Amino acid sequence: MILFLQSLLSGVLIGGVYALIGIGLTLIFGVMRVINFAHGELVMLGMYATWVLFVQLGWDPYLSILAVAPLLFVWGALLQVAVVNRALNALPQNQILLTIGLGLVMSNAVMLGFTSDYRILSTSYSSSSFELGGLSVSYPLLMSFLVTAAVTVALSLFLLRTDTGQAIRATAQDRLAAQLMGIDVRRMSVLAFGLGAALAGVAGALVAPTYYIYPQVGGAFTLRAFVIVVLGGMGSVMGAILAGVLIGVTESLAAVYVASGLKELVVYVLFLVVLLVKPSGLLGKSRA
Amino acid sequence: MARLAPTAVLAALSLLPLSAAGAPVKLGFINSMTGPEAPIGENLTNGADLAVEDLKARGIDVVLLKQDDGGKQQNAMSAIEQLATGEEVAVVVGPYTSASSNAVAPLAQQYEVPLLIPAAAKEELTRAGRSYVFRLNAPAHVYAESLLDAVLALGQPKTIAFVYESTDFGTSVSNAGKQLAQKKGLKVVADEAYQKGAPDYRSTLSKIKAQSPDLVFMVSYVADAILLMRQSREVGLKPQAFLGGGAGFDTAQFEAERTISNLVYSVTQWTPDTGWPGAAEFATRYQARFKKKPTYHAACAYAAVLVAGEAAAGAGGDPRKTREALARGSWTGVLGPVKFESFDGFTNQNRHVMPVIQYQDGKAQTVWPAQFAKRKAVYPFPGWK
Repeated sequence: MILFLQSLLSGVLIGGVYALIGIGLTLIFGVMRVINFAHGELVMLGMYATWVLFVQLGWDPYLSILAVAPLLFVWGALLQVAVVNRALNALPQNQILLTIGLGLVMSNAVMLGFTSDYRILSTSYSSSSFELGGLSVSYPLLMSFLVTAAVTVALSLFLLRTDTGQAIRATAQDRLAAQLMGIDVRRMSVLAFGLGAALAGVAGALVAPTYYIYPQVGGAFTLRAFVIVVLGGMGSVMGAILAGVLIGVTESLAAVYVASGLKELVVYVLFLVVLLVKPSGLLGKSRA
Repeated sequence: MARLAPTAVLAALSLLPLSAAGAPVKLGFINSMTGPEAPIGENLTNGADLAVEDLKARGIDVVLLKQDDGGKQQNAMSAIEQLATGEEVAVVVGPYTSASSNAVAPLAQQYEVPLLIPAAAKEELTRAGRSYVFRLNAPAHVYAESLLDAVLALGQPKTIAFVYESTDFGTSVSNAGKQLAQKKGLKVVADEAYQKGAPDYRSTLSKIKAQSPDLVFMVSYVADAILLMRQSREVGLKPQAFLGGGAGFDTAQFEAERTISNLVYSVTQWTPDTGWPGAAEFATRYQARFKKKPTYHAACAYAAVLVAGEAAAGAGGDPRKTREALARGSWTGVLGPVKFESFDGFTNQNRHVMPVIQYQDGKAQTVWPAQFAKRKAVYPFPGWK
């Protein structure tokens, strides 16, 4: 029983971070209908930014979120204005190729600058944990989860209560109608991409103390984010949260009750089953 | 008959070794210079470079042609094809990883160019009866045997759990470990393979903790080793001893993580204080030159290039004659005595003794076997601070 609860707990905590990556991707897709295959690379940039701030300035990774988020926001906005915006009316496959290309440029640029050596961030709490009712709770994971929860709440308030947030949601719902209502959809796209990138950067900062940092780490994150976004329903923030936690829990339980080497397999099997039963994802709207 | 004479003369001429006196002997070198194993690969490259310097200082003129496999088998395979057929080297030293070595060994045999493996552990590399494949380091079963023998001399553990990365290196060493453990009367209570590069082992480690093993045997490359130990501390895994099967557990990076490396055992191909000729001096020289402590990989590459260079130079750069020189020769150096023998199903395997180290207060100390031990081992593991 303890083992079950322990894996459930780790799964939920890690799932929170997955959800954060998924939210960023789903936001970008919702507003621009562009599947950003460079999303994992944005997470990777967040991890490297955190590492540089840690090594050069001694900043604690959780504190450096305050710097990494705006940095990645600006980078995302720049990418949108300079590159992605030109492809908004292109064929979907061309858009995908474009973002894949962006991802390659980013990961190889980092490889040039930092070499492909694995970097490990060692903080005083990197392996700390505390006991809670017989379960061992990982301190870095718990912090990540709490920060993710806070960021998600802030994001929801932004999207639901502010004018700009509602404008973004309107653009996601129906781009033409939003334009007719006087919303500057180009600006909304830039904001959405910047926001998505900032969220990816925050996720990178959160996992930096517990992962290894290397230029190609983005690939695994993109894949995971993609699975989460499709599983949760493309464009649905709530869906991304749900799917993220579900994937985290599935992975964790599969590692214990099936086999460590097969936990990814279980995740993908689950993904296929859900898609067969509900093709638009858990909370996605089926195309009418 | 007269018409055949010129052709015969030409044919005879073409069989002579092409290296005229004065042309440097070509040695090939395949290594993981980029990619995930790059931090370890760096040691191999540096060791090889030092060896080339020493060979030249002795008057043996060699040139080391380096190829990078980036940790990928297919790159290693094209590297050896290039070296064997394009550059026509006398001998190839490398690769680093077991996976790449496994891919390259049949090609070395096919192209008839001797391959001297410096540090790869997979058992089967020298069990396939290939006359052109030589291995300097001790194979997988010796990793497991040394660790188990060292720990069984210190206590009475009854159960053992295995956690290992799922490529050739991890599976080979842990398979050998499982067989030996059972032979020595230990019960295997967990057998967990993980995908290399997966960052979260908490569930796996919790599962192992639930079995309360006396020994935890881990086989990993660099980054995994650090994460495994960090997460072991997190979940509170507390066996009598952590046994690390070389590679990632044997690096300065791991040593530097004092809170998690403390009292972990690792088996290694070499330490500076074994008393082998030049071992301590090699470490000092490496440290002074590259500003880092050498891992055993550096010593392995150094010894391998010295042996390969001497054999190739003596054979005039001819691959077939180099193979014979390797098969018949014996050397002694920083890695101790080197002689490639065939025994117990192994072909061209050097009978290398592997010391066991334990990290004490952030430093690796040789604790086994007795003739190399400098400090007493601390056993059992007192728990996490």
